[in-house]
Amino acid sequence: MRIENYPEIIPGKNPFKKIYLAIFLWITGRAIQAAARTDRVVKKEFEMLPDDFMLYLGVSPNGPGFVVGKDSNGKAKYMGAKLKGKSITLKMIIKNIEAAFLVFTFQESTAVGFAHDRFMVSGNLDEACRIGRVLDIVEIYLLPKIITKLAVKRYPNWKQMSPIRKHVGRVIIYTRAILGF
Amino acid sequence: MDTQKYYEFCTRVKTISGHNSLEEIPQALMDLNAKSPMIITDKGVSAVGLIQLVQDAIKKSKNKIEIKVIFDDVPADSDITTVNEIAKLYKEKGCDSIITVGGGSPMDTAKGVNILVSEDADDLMQFTGAGAIKRRLNPLIAIPTTSGTGSEMTLVAVIADHSKNKKMAFTSYFLLPDVAILDSRMTLTLPDFLTAPTAMDALTHACEAYTCLAKNPLSDSAALFAIELIRDNLLNVIKKPKDANGRLALANASALAGIAFSNSMVGMVHTIGHAIGGVCHVPHGVAMSILLPYGLEYNLHKTGHLTGELLLPLAGSEKFAAIPKELRPLKSIEIIRQLNEDLHKATGGRHSRFLSEVRNREGTQMIPKDKIRDIALTAQNDGSIFYNPEELDLEDLIMVIEAAWEGVPIDRKKIKMSKETSKVKIKI
Repeated sequence: MRIENYPEIIPGKNPFKKIYLAIFLWITGRAIQAAARTDRVVKKEFEMLPDDFMLYLGVSPNGPGFVVGKDSNGKAKYMGAKLKGKSITLKMIIKNIEAAFLVFTFQESTAVGFAHDRFMVSGNLDEACRIGRVLDIVEIYLLPKIITKLAVKRYPNWKQMSPIRKHVGRVIIYTRAILGF
Repeated sequence: MDTQKYYEFCTRVKTISGHNSLEEIPQALMDLNAKSPMIITDKGVSAVGLIQLVQDAIKKSKNKIEIKVIFDDVPADSDITTVNEIAKLYKEKGCDSIITVGGGSPMDTAKGVNILVSEDADDLMQFTGAGAIKRRLNPLIAIPTTSGTGSEMTLVAVIADHSKNKKMAFTSYFLLPDVAILDSRMTLTLPDFLTAPTAMDALTHACEAYTCLAKNPLSDSAALFAIELIRDNLLNVIKKPKDANGRLALANASALAGIAFSNSMVGMVHTIGHAIGGVCHVPHGVAMSILLPYGLEYNLHKTGHLTGELLLPLAGSEKFAAIPKELRPLKSIEIIRQLNEDLHKATGGRHSRFLSEVRNREGTQMIPKDKIRDIALTAQNDGSIFYNPEELDLEDLIMVIEAAWEGVPIDRKKIKMSKETSKVKIKI
């Protein structure tokens, strides 16, 4: 047997999932910054976080992901997709691409994702709880109700989030997320 | 019965259970290649002679085991300062393993110490969260002296940082003790007013493990059997405290419930209970006893069918079969409330049934009504909230705590229900 006659079989990769996740996380990271400057509840959650707070939410082993932290003025700021050179205080990592795809295509809600041990969390758990609430609100702004209902435990009724707050907020947050201010 | 689409389960604690199981400590240490243990405990455990039992068991052995140092000053609400102090002592005395004897506080403290000494680190903060510890720690033997926390079987440690007024949670499979020793002698002297709430803590672990989001078939089996053991033994042990078999059964129930919740986590009962502990310093088991029925009640529209299934271990097969399916969830809750009432009577009123009734040794009310909002605000940031089937915002938390404070059932009209997922239509 001549080994060179048997070429190594390299497993195929499906780039679609990684591209989808990269885009989704890019929008989400920028939308968190936008929501923290638009929505009073998200703003308050960020005010309660320590000044050196910096979150990395990403997929193991090599991303994609995003970093959101507080800038020198204490405001939420999207800080790109790379971890390198950043002092992360809270790391929320989904164990693999497949698990991340389930969570971010809402086949599994965020809470069920936690229950299924999809996440590894390093850092303060009370900060992770705040970020969990922020992500829920951001998803409500970004996504239509029919999809958001799959992502969050309970979709807010109009008393909790009025239609005006939701729709006006959605326009502002999308605009800010795309333009980055 | 539901099977999770995906779950992770791990329990690798060697468990030695019996009326004289302490005598196995030397061999357990030898199996772990350890011969210079440190004992970590608290003053209460030490004062009633339980450490002497452990020392005697080790002395009897021909193995060359030498207890290097005993630290018996773990406070009830242990914190990072104590952990650092003990870790320093461990290194100074050249220890190679830890034996922790006590309830939740000494066990969690020992786990914290083990992180520092095994990782040769001096900042516990870098290991907070889930999965931050990446390698095997030094040998740890856990000997519970209450039948409640289940900490001898869990991957969790909660340690306070009083300087920042917060509690840090650590979870990692490497925090599972190597050996758990359940010996009936260790709980024989536990007074009734402590036996009752600690066993109710174990019952809460089992019930929440069975009804919350991370439930799985392996945890379920442990949870159901834990409930049966508590049903059959708790009131008997309160009436006959020297019943060694009953004590051992409760220790096993606590360990089983620990296995269950270590792999399924817990929900809103712990969310609120941790906050009550943090804000008002109420013992954990006391808060659990009171809040358990409220947690099950709040989640009825999501997991009522699971609460109904709990009736089998709670009431036995005859009563279970006699009650129609749609009434079982409420019956389960009623039985737990009745158990609290029975424990209240059996302990001469020292087992609290609602939050406003909880008093300290001086007779002062521990949870003033004006603290409810603070408790709710703290509860919002407890990690267990992720695992509760229904969402809880600040308003929901206040509503539940107020009901538990007054000792009245939740007004279910006030629950902002998401989509109903209970497979049983609840008759109210």
